[in-house]
Amino acid sequence: MLQKKICMLGGFAVGKTSLVRRFVQSIFSETYLTTVGVKIDKKSVVLPDKTVDLILWDLAGEDDIGSFRVSYVRGATGLVLVVDGTRAATLAVALTLRERVEAEFGPMPFVLLFNKSDLADRWAIPDSDIDGLRQLGWQIYLTSALSGECVDDAFRQLASMVTE
Amino acid sequence: MHGLPREVRSWIFNFFYREHSVAYLKIDAELCIAAKGGNLKHYGLSSLRTGKPVADQLEFMEGLLPCPELPFHMAMVELPGGRVADLHLFADNDCVWLLFLDATAERDNRQRLQQKAYEMTLLQERERQLNEKLRSTNEALRESQEGLSREYQRAETLLLNILPASIAERLKAHEQIADNHAEVSVLFADIVGFTERARSVGAVTTLAILNYFFKVADQLSERYGCEKIKTIGDCVMVVAGLPAARSDHAEALAHYALELREAGMRERFAGVPLRLRIGIHSGPIVAGVIGKKRFAYDLWGDTVNLASRIQTSAEPDEIRISDATHTLLGPDFACDPLEETELRGTGRVRMWRLRA
Repeated sequence: MLQKKICMLGGFAVGKTSLVRRFVQSIFSETYLTTVGVKIDKKSVVLPDKTVDLILWDLAGEDDIGSFRVSYVRGATGLVLVVDGTRAATLAVALTLRERVEAEFGPMPFVLLFNKSDLADRWAIPDSDIDGLRQLGWQIYLTSALSGECVDDAFRQLASMVTE
Repeated sequence: MHGLPREVRSWIFNFFYREHSVAYLKIDAELCIAAKGGNLKHYGLSSLRTGKPVADQLEFMEGLLPCPELPFHMAMVELPGGRVADLHLFADNDCVWLLFLDATAERDNRQRLQQKAYEMTLLQERERQLNEKLRSTNEALRESQEGLSREYQRAETLLLNILPASIAERLKAHEQIADNHAEVSVLFADIVGFTERARSVGAVTTLAILNYFFKVADQLSERYGCEKIKTIGDCVMVVAGLPAARSDHAEALAHYALELREAGMRERFAGVPLRLRIGIHSGPIVAGVIGKKRFAYDLWGDTVNLASRIQTSAEPDEIRISDATHTLLGPDFACDPLEETELRGTGRVRMWRLRA
């Protein structure tokens, strides 16, 4: 059985839990419910040459990055970095979390999701910033857990990256 | 624990065991479940099978073993069954023990507090964003208002350049402009031999000549309270006595004419001064604005026609005035009588030459 541990990382209320729920159960709730500790979900992804079970660790998005427990990430093979596109400061949070994880466990594949793309009128991230990150060769998706836009694409991309 | 009486130890053990629904797994070196026990049912894990790989049966164990940093603690892990457990891993020779301690109540408490705190923070962030947006919207509004008022002032200035101020005011109030003025003086002036000269000096000098001539005409209009009505080629038309009536309209234009002639002689273009032909006549006219998009304030009537004819009949450097204007000027302005002359469309006319 091929299974891979994936960690969802990002500031609080960026939509990590909602993205997992959209991806695993195809549902979305407008109600914000903060995650404490970690929730674990599983979803099979069928790739052209294999099927992989993604074990999704939905980690609490800390208000204070210092209190993030890196040890949860032990054993992970990939990261989903989540940014709230309507809150510019959450980009720095996601990038810092990734740095902390890589300092502990070394580099690992990741996708970067700018979530809440349905809230276009409140969008706070300039296109130029996103293009700049794309030029680093990063896999970047503008997702909406509400509409489901690009959510499957992002997880499937990561699934193929971690099984290469 | 060793310093405690047996009864106390036993009570603490039972209390902790019950409260935290303690369960355990023993995992061998092959990462299979070697033993299990405690309240596994509480976590929905009764069906775990010994002798089988632990990661196949407990997804969250994927990748965790072998773990170089034992003992290892993960707080508040929500299991697929919904229970929340604190997980403790510690080593025992080749094996690893995995303890489950229930933390569902603690997690729920923490969640209630954290929910409030985060909701508050989100509201504050949103408030900041909205305030920022309000500020920038106000800023943009202010800028566009300023731009608008600049545009308005520009339009105003343009309008004042082509119309007398009082006429412009009335026009903005959508008034129809057609006024009778009983007593005004009208002046025409043009440059002697302009057409031939323009041909010989070229476009740049021609433009410089016209620019100079009309600029002086504008400056003198301002000085003597006259209105430059229009220019036709190298000819300028000026009126005194409107829009506001004045009794000294003839004098004003006489001064105007003398200075205009003076200014022409003063300046040289390609070495040659400007020689003017100037004519003035006084009488009643009709003034009004015609046109909807391109406004033109203009004068009509016999007085205008005669003034034009007198000007055409003037000699180079001459200021030729009608008898009516001469009468208005009185003795302060020295004039030489001219012979009665036949003018086109008017018959024989008595005229005067204004002396310097």
